[in-house]
Amino acid sequence: MSGYNAVFESLGLQGWCSAGTQGGPVTLAQLLAKAKANQAGAGEGSLPFPSLDALNSACPAIPRTRDMTSAIEHGFLTVRDGLKVVLDPLTQPLSWLLELSLKVVDLVPWWLMILALLALTWWLSRSLRITALAGSILLALGLVDHLHYALQTMAIVFTCTLICILAGLPIGILMSRSERFKSAALPVLDMLQTLPSFVYLIPLIFLFSVTEPKLYGIAIILYAIVPVVRLTDLGIRQVDGSVGEAAESFGMSGWQRLTSVELPLALPSIMAGVNQTIMMALSMVVIASLVSAPGLGVLVLRGINNLELGVGLVAGLAIVLLAIAFDRVTKASMARLSAQSKGYNP
Amino acid sequence: MNQAIKMAVRGCYKIFGSAPEQMVERVRAGMSKTELLQQHAHVCGLRDINVDMRAGQITVIMGLSGSGKSTLIRHLNGLIAPTAGEILLDGVDLTALSANELREVRRSSISMVFQNFALMPHQTVLQNVGLAKRVRGEPAAQVEADARRWLARLGLAGFEDRYPHQLSGGMQQRVGIARALSSDADVLLMDEAFSALDPLTRKDMQDLLLELQRELFKTIVFITHDLDEALRIADHIVMLKDGEVVQQGDPQSIVLHPANEYVERFVNDINRARLLRVESLAQPASVEELRRLERIDATQTLEHALTQAGGDPDRAFAVMREGHFAGMLHLRDVIRAMLPGQPGKPQVQPPAAAVRAGLNIHQA
Repeated sequence: MSGYNAVFESLGLQGWCSAGTQGGPVTLAQLLAKAKANQAGAGEGSLPFPSLDALNSACPAIPRTRDMTSAIEHGFLTVRDGLKVVLDPLTQPLSWLLELSLKVVDLVPWWLMILALLALTWWLSRSLRITALAGSILLALGLVDHLHYALQTMAIVFTCTLICILAGLPIGILMSRSERFKSAALPVLDMLQTLPSFVYLIPLIFLFSVTEPKLYGIAIILYAIVPVVRLTDLGIRQVDGSVGEAAESFGMSGWQRLTSVELPLALPSIMAGVNQTIMMALSMVVIASLVSAPGLGVLVLRGINNLELGVGLVAGLAIVLLAIAFDRVTKASMARLSAQSKGYNP
Repeated sequence: MNQAIKMAVRGCYKIFGSAPEQMVERVRAGMSKTELLQQHAHVCGLRDINVDMRAGQITVIMGLSGSGKSTLIRHLNGLIAPTAGEILLDGVDLTALSANELREVRRSSISMVFQNFALMPHQTVLQNVGLAKRVRGEPAAQVEADARRWLARLGLAGFEDRYPHQLSGGMQQRVGIARALSSDADVLLMDEAFSALDPLTRKDMQDLLLELQRELFKTIVFITHDLDEALRIADHIVMLKDGEVVQQGDPQSIVLHPANEYVERFVNDINRARLLRVESLAQPASVEELRRLERIDATQTLEHALTQAGGDPDRAFAVMREGHFAGMLHLRDVIRAMLPGQPGKPQVQPPAAAVRAGLNIHQA
């Protein structure tokens, strides 16, 4: 079929090759190639890229690429049950937490919810302007009947961000302490950050039932945890060396140094990480609606599935409004915190 | 001068690199700094340092940048561990202590003032000063009262609730000193504590330090690259060059008998008038002559003589020692003495020679 026949013949591997079975499904490419070969009657001397498929056509003992992908699938399916036994109970609290937060949105009356959110905004930003902005955004969402969806989205984002901070801070601190841990963690963080967001969902769908909230919870957390980890590490590493030396020379223990010097000074940087984490969680929650996450994402998905242009666009704009509110509030609290801990560069 | 030895550095070596322990023997055998760097890629930071720091005295470690003085002071509180040698505090070798014991020493016995102040930027002045006692876990009310007392002592009452960046450099360093003193440690390490300040503030801070020292009798180790500063405050000066002690002794002896060219270059730049005494320039003269002149005490500095003469180069004084005439001082000689000495033979005669020159000592 191709020039590789001669290669295998010259290596004396014909016997080994023909011992391999020509099993497995026939690919479309193979059929096309066969038809082409019949038409042209040639192809004997052609040298395609020596990929698994091309080599397989010369020597059936070599597996094809699709055999490899199906092997990955089989491999995953065989470890799945074992993984489930470990991961299911470990992640169950996440499901409960998400269910609880969504229940809160369902049960608490809308006016109380808005008041509570505005109080939180005020506490974080201490700015009338920002609080008024958040209030008008909530009212605008309510006016077009998107308030409930928006609150569901917020509940998921808040819950996942909280877990990202709780898990991300210790990881970031460890990274700032140990070069070895950092060099091990960096590739993982890079992968989490660059893996297309849909790809997160694929193994999770195999592991958990699509009706479980933890399915999208895990996807959002994995996707959004990276900035808070990175910026915690960065913030602690950026603490002025002489301040660390002073802490050391007055006999601070590692814990005293972390809690009374490093974390307070790294706080502006950590808050920048939290801000990014919230934004990434918000973008993931839309995609997570593919796997039954409630909220504004459901409306966007409806817009795509049913070609309801207006519904999709309005929901999309509502997400933008939410993002603006989140961003302004966290940035305002960030500015407040860094004003407290500034004084380095007079 | 005979106070007990509070801290001592004995045979201390510090070598930076991947296998410093193996290099110590080579350095002990006399390998030079450049050879060590070129042949073995190790940096020799300190070489065979032996210094005694006496209780209640100010020991000044002097040298240019890169001479290893900051490295040396960090050995004294264990921020850097020596490659070989001992660091003794009250006879206890700090290098043999565990991490916890060393932390305890830092909390209770040694405190430090830094060149760039190194105050906690996110804490108020009051919280900064309370740092040492808070780290030790003393009750908050007591820590605060103590911090207020120290701030008042250093003239910073009323600034308790400010943040460090709201204060000037001099005030920030006062906070740094208050922070170090509030730990009640016997030993105070000052790493170029006044180098970042402007000259006038620096002089004020030197006066403040001397004033505090008269009350507190701390054992102070002070690092500087400024010989004028060293001469003003030091009881004992240690000159470092390329990680080695080139000369140590009391300030006058360093200025009058520099051990080598390196020390001489330092000494040539200083204000001799402030250090040298008038007796070192006294010339023989007859009693009749001396009786007609204004009198000046032999232990006064040349600067004092210049001031007393109002800068007039034609004036002369009768030098008095314990009520007796010790010779005549010409202002012209004072001005000449300001010139830097020639290498090897100082123009200014040492005091002993001057006494011998004033042969005709008469009753006043």
